[in-house]
Amino acid sequence: MALWMETGSEPKTETEIADLEAISALKESTALELKEKGNELVKKGKKHYPEAIHCYSRAINQKALNDPDTSVLFSNRAHVNLLLGNYRRALSDSQDAIKLFPANVKAYYRAAKACLSLNLLAEAKSYCESGVGKDPTNEELKKLAKQIDLKKLEQEPREAQVSKALVEAKDLVSAIEDRRLKLGNAMYRELTGLRKPVLDKNGILHWPVLLLYAEFMSSDFIEDFCETDMFSAHLDIMFSESCPPLPWDKENHYSRDAIELYYEAGSGICLSKRKILRYLLEGTAAANVESIGEEEKDAADGSPYDSSAGSSKWVKVNEKRTLHDVLKEPNFIIPMIPVYYVVSKRSGFYKDFITGKWRPPA
Amino acid sequence: MATELEELIGFLSAPSPPVKKAAVDIVRDLTGSEDGLHSLSNYANTVLPSFSRLLSDDKEVSEPAAEALVNLSQNAGLAAKMVEMGLIKIAMDMLYKPGSSITRLLVMLLVNLTQLDDGISSLLQIGDDKMQGLYVMKLVRSFCRSSETSDDPFDHVGSILVNISKKEEGRKMLLDPKRGLLKQIIRQFDSSSLLRKKGVSGTIRNCCFEAENQLQNLLLISEFLWPALLLPVAGNKIYGEQDTSKMPLELGSALSIDREPVKDPEIRVQALEAIYLIALQEAGRRALWSVNGPRILQVGYEDEEDPKVMEAYKQIGSLLVHGSETEEPSTTTSK
Repeated sequence: MALWMETGSEPKTETEIADLEAISALKESTALELKEKGNELVKKGKKHYPEAIHCYSRAINQKALNDPDTSVLFSNRAHVNLLLGNYRRALSDSQDAIKLFPANVKAYYRAAKACLSLNLLAEAKSYCESGVGKDPTNEELKKLAKQIDLKKLEQEPREAQVSKALVEAKDLVSAIEDRRLKLGNAMYRELTGLRKPVLDKNGILHWPVLLLYAEFMSSDFIEDFCETDMFSAHLDIMFSESCPPLPWDKENHYSRDAIELYYEAGSGICLSKRKILRYLLEGTAAANVESIGEEEKDAADGSPYDSSAGSSKWVKVNEKRTLHDVLKEPNFIIPMIPVYYVVSKRSGFYKDFITGKWRPPA
Repeated sequence: MATELEELIGFLSAPSPPVKKAAVDIVRDLTGSEDGLHSLSNYANTVLPSFSRLLSDDKEVSEPAAEALVNLSQNAGLAAKMVEMGLIKIAMDMLYKPGSSITRLLVMLLVNLTQLDDGISSLLQIGDDKMQGLYVMKLVRSFCRSSETSDDPFDHVGSILVNISKKEEGRKMLLDPKRGLLKQIIRQFDSSSLLRKKGVSGTIRNCCFEAENQLQNLLLISEFLWPALLLPVAGNKIYGEQDTSKMPLELGSALSIDREPVKDPEIRVQALEAIYLIALQEAGRRALWSVNGPRILQVGYEDEEDPKVMEAYKQIGSLLVHGSETEEPSTTTSK
């Protein structure tokens, strides 16, 4: 007898109606059998979980059961997905279960568990609370709620640290941008390490500054050079008479009156805000944050800031100027941490340096 | 008297030029007296619009009309009405029309109108996202350029800036490093015009009230700021090498030579008040020390005779003594 009906046509004869009822009953019992089979497989252990899922899925596809019963199918499948570690699927199944039958308490439990594993703590808590609302005596839900609270407590200080580090770094990038400073790739990382500029509570920048004694390839740091300080003030302290001479300066050429500071101008590439932000985040709690919220489309760095014929110049620093004034010179790209080369007028090395015969090692 | 006045006011809109001119002159004369002002203020709703229309007329009408408005704007109620009527926009539009002969008068009008909060808001163009700050930028630019001309019609702009810097939004706009307005304004301090000097000095002092929140916007133009603040209160002596060697070039060289003292005590007080506001902040004190500021104040105080100014010196003095931890620039070096 014909089993196929044209769509839109109503069954007319009694036999046709009977046939449809028989099919429907068949589907229903198939679904129920599949459900039982799935349950049995789950009891048998881990190896049988995938097959159990398959049973539940086929049962659902029969589309033969009422909502409450279908809801149980979904929440059973969610259970197995949880056991298999498929948390997203477990969550999706639990949500379907809840939609079909909001009184399905187990579905809330499983949804909450899935969220907990996915670290969606707020959602987990919410499902827990809904579940408890449906069944106030449910001990498992209450235990789960406590678990979620504990995890939240653990995470908060960490999250607070991360957001603090992110905010601080962003403020720093803003401050640098406001001052129209140009930053390039860091040089001499082996010397500078993780040092970074710092913004004080008055909004003033403090920079660590690297001093390189070109003649001897030795280095020194000014750890806290406030941008409003003059170079002369720091040099006065570093080269004051009460300070011992530098160990490798056998002929004492590097006295206060003989030293001069130079920076390399006109070479290198200006980094984008995003790259600068990444550098500043290194070594902080927020170092591994994936999205740092910079939606600017200038993923590209600035074009290479090139001076003539590829040779960079040495520019002398006027000691009577503040760090800020020297840093903002248009031809200077700060290599993350400012680097200044120290030479002595009295040393034979001076001539080589000034005439460009000496180059910093690559 | 009343109906005569009404008739007179009506003549302000007369089609016949000589009648209009005569009416404008008479009403302008009225605005010069207390009684006249009082009578006219009852007719503000007709007088003010008439006058503002006359601003775009020929010189012989627009000049007395502008004079009249300046006089009327000294009355707070009338000034408020003018702001409401949008007279600030009208004045700004007229100001930059080529061939305008009432520039100085319009600027004076703006000075009076910005005595009111609403006037300031209107001039700052707060709420107009695209145009915000355009008027101010234009005025500052004119202020800086017109000092080179012989008649200097924009010299009163300094007073406008003092007014707008009384409001936080005004200060923020002037301090905004992207606009660079304060830097331009400070440079006018060297002018020989007392009016300009006072305008600059008053504006800087008001802006220093933002030192708590925007110290960097003040200190980052310290190359220009310190000379404007410290030179007026540095006394009359020529400084020696020992003192100037600790100062940045622009201060050191200015103090090593003979200079004109700043005679107006109000300017000296304002400079000291500005320094005080900066010195309230730790980074401000540090910056002051780094240019050998306290030494300058010490020497300047020795020459001071005006009691008000001496008070201001002492105020900073006690702040520097009590508010300091280690004020010298600290350096730690690692080898």
